[in-house]
Amino acid sequence: MDCSYFRSRLNQFVDAELGYLEVAELQGHLSFCPDCAAELAQLSEVRGALAAWGEVELGAPLGFVERVAAAALESKPGTVQLGRVVGDALDALDETLGRIPLPGGRTIPVKNLLGYGIAATAVIIQVERYLRRMRELKPS
Amino acid sequence: MPASNLHKWATLPDPTPADLTRAAAGDVDAFTTIVERYQGMVYSVAYNVLGNHTDAEDAAQEAFLRCYRKLAQYRSEATFSTWLFRLALTASVDYQRRERRRPEPVEIPDIAGGEPELGDGISAATLTAALHDLPDDYRVPTVLRDIYGLPYQEIAELTSRPLGTVKVMVHRGRASLRLRLQAERGL
Repeated sequence: MDCSYFRSRLNQFVDAELGYLEVAELQGHLSFCPDCAAELAQLSEVRGALAAWGEVELGAPLGFVERVAAAALESKPGTVQLGRVVGDALDALDETLGRIPLPGGRTIPVKNLLGYGIAATAVIIQVERYLRRMRELKPS
Repeated sequence: MPASNLHKWATLPDPTPADLTRAAAGDVDAFTTIVERYQGMVYSVAYNVLGNHTDAEDAAQEAFLRCYRKLAQYRSEATFSTWLFRLALTASVDYQRRERRRPEPVEIPDIAGGEPELGDGISAATLTAALHDLPDDYRVPTVLRDIYGLPYQEIAELTSRPLGTVKVMVHRGRASLRLRLQAERGL
């Protein structure tokens, strides 16, 4: 097997997604291929740098806390806002009902299905109204 | 799987139950204390996901407002910092999907505690510039995977993309970063 086969597996290797035999096969190749070994070292270095960067705490901009506090004051619990009530209800629904798996590993929240259902119903009602109106206008 | 950076934030001291109860009841002063304590964590998450300061501030503010509204739903099965960290991630990814990314020159963020050690010849400026230049489709999953150590399945759910697509995006993001960092070091 050539290097392209092994290079395509380096990401799976660092993600610990290869089986025991695949790891052994890759390590065998790396032991005598300096180019692939160098690519793995660079890949590991990038991941190491990213992980280290995740430990770094960045400073929020000046006045950030005050701006958040002012915004919180405006949206104080107890102030009824329709959008917020609907949003919170949908979030609660999402957490309760979970997600539906689709082919290809994709998942969608159940609340989206409810949304699609409502939209489809609205379209059907409009089409039905349109057809009825056409029938009424048709000369007998 | 990389070690998750969730563990770092999970060690931040949680607010006292009394503070949480007061904030959940709408006490803005108690809530402000929470914002002061966790602003660095939430802002860092938003900056890393969004790649610029303007969007990061908006998303971080949105994360704290969600926290304010949902505090009554917080249960202590997870530490407060872990719960807030998840809220910050979700708010940032939602913001990225909803808003068009604002073009902004790379500006080195203020780092608490001085220049970090990221590896041989890799500076914070180099890494943030390389991340900034990645297309959103590559940067967001790569950040979630390699900076925050999220499982691929969770990234797929957060970003509403198929699992296979997410993996390809992370692989391409890593490849772009690798080539960029190599070029910067003149290797």
